[in-house]
Amino acid sequence: MDRRDFVKIGAAIGGALVASEALAQGAPEKNAGKRARRPGPFPGGQPAVVTPNGATLKLVEKDGVKIGHLVAMPVKHTFTPGLEAECWGYNGRVHGPTIEVVEGDRVRFYVTNRLPEPTTVHWHGVILPCGMDGVAGLTQKPIEPKDTHVYEFTFSKAGTFMYHPHYDEMTQMALGMVGMIVVHPKNPRGPRVDRDFALVTHEWAIRAGARRPDPNEMKDFNVLTFNAKAYPGTEPLVVGKGERVRIRLGNLSAMDHHPIHIHGLAFETTWTDGGEIPVTARHPDTTVLVPTGSVRVIEFVPTESGDWAMHCHMTHHIMNQMGHGFPVMVGANAAAIDKRVQALVPDYMTMGQAGMGGMDDMKMPVPKNSIPMRGGKGPFSTIDMGGMFTILKVRDDPDAEDGKGWYAHPKGTVADKADSTKMKADGIDPDVTF
Amino acid sequence: MKSSLWSGGLSALLVAFSAGCGGGALDTDVRDVNEFLAAHGAGRASGAPARPSVALPSEERWEEDPSEAPKILAKPLHAEAAVRLSLLMNRDLRASMYELGIARGRVVQAGLLPNPEIEVSLRAPQDPFQELQADIGIEYDISRVILMPLRKGAAEAELAAERVRVAGEVLDTAYRARVAFYEVQARQGVLDLRSRALAAFQAGFAAAEELHRVGNLPDVDLATQRAAVEAARIEVAEAENTLLDARERLNLAIGLSGEKTSWTAPDPLPPPEVDTIDAAGGEKKALAASLELAEIAGRMQAAGKRVGMHRAEGRLPHLSGGFHGENDGRAWEIGGHVTVGLPIFDRAQGRVISAQSELGALRERYVATATAVRANLRMAQNRVESAGRRARHYRDALLPAREKALAETLLQYNAMQVGVFQVLETQRRLTEAGIAYTETLLEYWKARAALDQVLAGRHRALGLAPPGVGSAGMGGGAESSAGH
Ligand SMILES: [Cu+2]
Repeated sequence: MDRRDFVKIGAAIGGALVASEALAQGAPEKNAGKRARRPGPFPGGQPAVVTPNGATLKLVEKDGVKIGHLVAMPVKHTFTPGLEAECWGYNGRVHGPTIEVVEGDRVRFYVTNRLPEPTTVHWHGVILPCGMDGVAGLTQKPIEPKDTHVYEFTFSKAGTFMYHPHYDEMTQMALGMVGMIVVHPKNPRGPRVDRDFALVTHEWAIRAGARRPDPNEMKDFNVLTFNAKAYPGTEPLVVGKGERVRIRLGNLSAMDHHPIHIHGLAFETTWTDGGEIPVTARHPDTTVLVPTGSVRVIEFVPTESGDWAMHCHMTHHIMNQMGHGFPVMVGANAAAIDKRVQALVPDYMTMGQAGMGGMDDMKMPVPKNSIPMRGGKGPFSTIDMGGMFTILKVRDDPDAEDGKGWYAHPKGTVADKADSTKMKADGIDPDVTF
Repeated sequence: MKSSLWSGGLSALLVAFSAGCGGGALDTDVRDVNEFLAAHGAGRASGAPARPSVALPSEERWEEDPSEAPKILAKPLHAEAAVRLSLLMNRDLRASMYELGIARGRVVQAGLLPNPEIEVSLRAPQDPFQELQADIGIEYDISRVILMPLRKGAAEAELAAERVRVAGEVLDTAYRARVAFYEVQARQGVLDLRSRALAAFQAGFAAAEELHRVGNLPDVDLATQRAAVEAARIEVAEAENTLLDARERLNLAIGLSGEKTSWTAPDPLPPPEVDTIDAAGGEKKALAASLELAEIAGRMQAAGKRVGMHRAEGRLPHLSGGFHGENDGRAWEIGGHVTVGLPIFDRAQGRVISAQSELGALRERYVATATAVRANLRMAQNRVESAGRRARHYRDALLPAREKALAETLLQYNAMQVGVFQVLETQRRLTEAGIAYTETLLEYWKARAALDQVLAGRHRALGLAPPGVGSAGMGGGAESSAGH
């Protein structure tokens, strides 16, 4: 179910609840009543989870058991226009679809292996019978190529979990085989949320011009993703001003933790994959560190409209396909180098001597199938970030948004070039020496 | 490049020397050589160069260069021009032409009748009543007259062999000039590329210096770049020296000195041609065309004639005859006489043995030379094929691949995956491939010239041996056999 569908359902079911629930959400007064609440089909009117750039696994209920089918398979995946790779995923996508159930649900997952090697599925964080835990050799036989195994268990605990192989996990996860699991509580506590997003953070090593992630890489990851998309390929998160928003962050990166930072608001971490954090233990943050193999669930109510950056705060994680072999050019006089090199290689041009910003605007020809130094088009200039970067779009009327438009700033609320007279009046001397 | 290899030289020479050619026996020899070359070339392999031709200026103008030479030298040289010039100006070749006269002189000498000997004697008798007595005698060497045709025949056979030898020197001179010219072209190409490699190192050093200046590069990297520049400088200097050597070899091959050595040859070596080598018929053609074999055959004929001549000489009693007149003061008494030397002790046995041995040695040299011709032909063919294949591979595969690698490295540079140093490194690899290509091209063109030379009839001193093996090892036996 995508965001539009759940919005429609939410609007139909939840219309009556709008007024009474508004205050209980703790939303700012001035917006109360203005926003339509959109309770979903889950207990307590909780909305369905949206997986930006992703999908939710289709489940069919039969005799009280929810049945799903995961097919492990090679997938051609586009990280963002310009970078396509031969990956491995589930059900034709990278990453696999989000599994969304309710606490207490009995499930039966068939897992078909279309990979060239065996696999298993480990239900990361889920408490279940040991034989269903999906660790090849330890708890089960590997699922051989072309075979289908079946897992059956009950989700006895609410929370946010993940799934991934536990056979040759180094390769299979490096090639994209991960997914999120959301188990809605049967009896939700606390304020109900309006929006619920699931994001998997992941890292990849794809050499510029190559077409397959390198599973052997241990430290040089150059493609960093939210739900297997690198900015500008990441779908923005569109939310309403005053809405309560939940973001479930799972990290299945090979080596790195990700300090995820959101602009324009503070949030609280409410859940981990271990369970719900007591209200008394919560504290406000603007950055949450999501360790490898962990889930952090955050909640917030934005009060400021706008297009807000949401990204990993490791600066190399918001670059696309930077390389190691590039010497530090900052401060160099390009002319001193260019005239000699260009005599031999006419198309050569010294770069980076004034820093690396704005590289995308230079439009240098780069290797096929690569997105180095690529960012996205912003309303003011190129946004020269990539990778684990997305935009939280806080809108007065989020349902009217398609996510592509930019925030219209009220007059006088955008930082701009200072007026020299005003500077002078304020005693600012731009030529001040120190 | 193919059929007109020599023809330009031929016409130029005819024009250049026809004015200077006076009458006389020397002209006849030169004409004979040219005619021999022309006739010999009739059966040459298709695609091989046309036969060159040579001429001598008149005696009075022997010091001057032919009038065409300065005109050719004024323009940038090419392979044909270098060959033409060598035939115009090479003094060793002209010396050989003169040496032809030595053999012709022997023929002429052998064909001359012996001079009669006249003996006059006066006697004053002691008897005062007797008058002064006079004797007159004429003596003539009859044996020599009888043996004259045999001697002349042997000398003529020797002259014919000399003519073949000189014709071979014409080919050798042209070949040396051609190969020396190719060498110059190759050395110029290599020098250009070495300079380009140096420029790449200098660019790397300039980048390193700049990055070092602004604090981005440690001393060690700067020093490493610097060392590379200095090493590349030496390679350029070596390439310069090799080029100067090559120029001098061409000067020597043509016979240039002084101001005349300031020629330029701007063209690079041409790319390899698609060769159509008739491997099967090649040996037959080379043997048929071989001037060395023809020369040895000629000398065998001369030696054979000498054997006959010496035998006849040994058997023939020495004969001389004469007339005798005696005047006793009153009347002449006239009579004749014949002297017969008895072939008892000296029957020219030694000369016969020498001549027979010479014949025997030549027969063995003939077979040895034929073996060497075959081997050289095959070696030349293999070289043409192998070097041609490699040169084409450089041109069609490796160089484009290196260019592609450079283009891709530049893209990686644009993508900030690699730095300027890697770009330059890839560029240098392209340059190195260019140098290797040039060396292979030189090997190819040398082999082509050598193959043409073998098919034209000369297999000696081709310089085909792989590096490390002296070219003297090839056809060494023939070297001594063809001496005179
Ligand atoms: Cu990160």
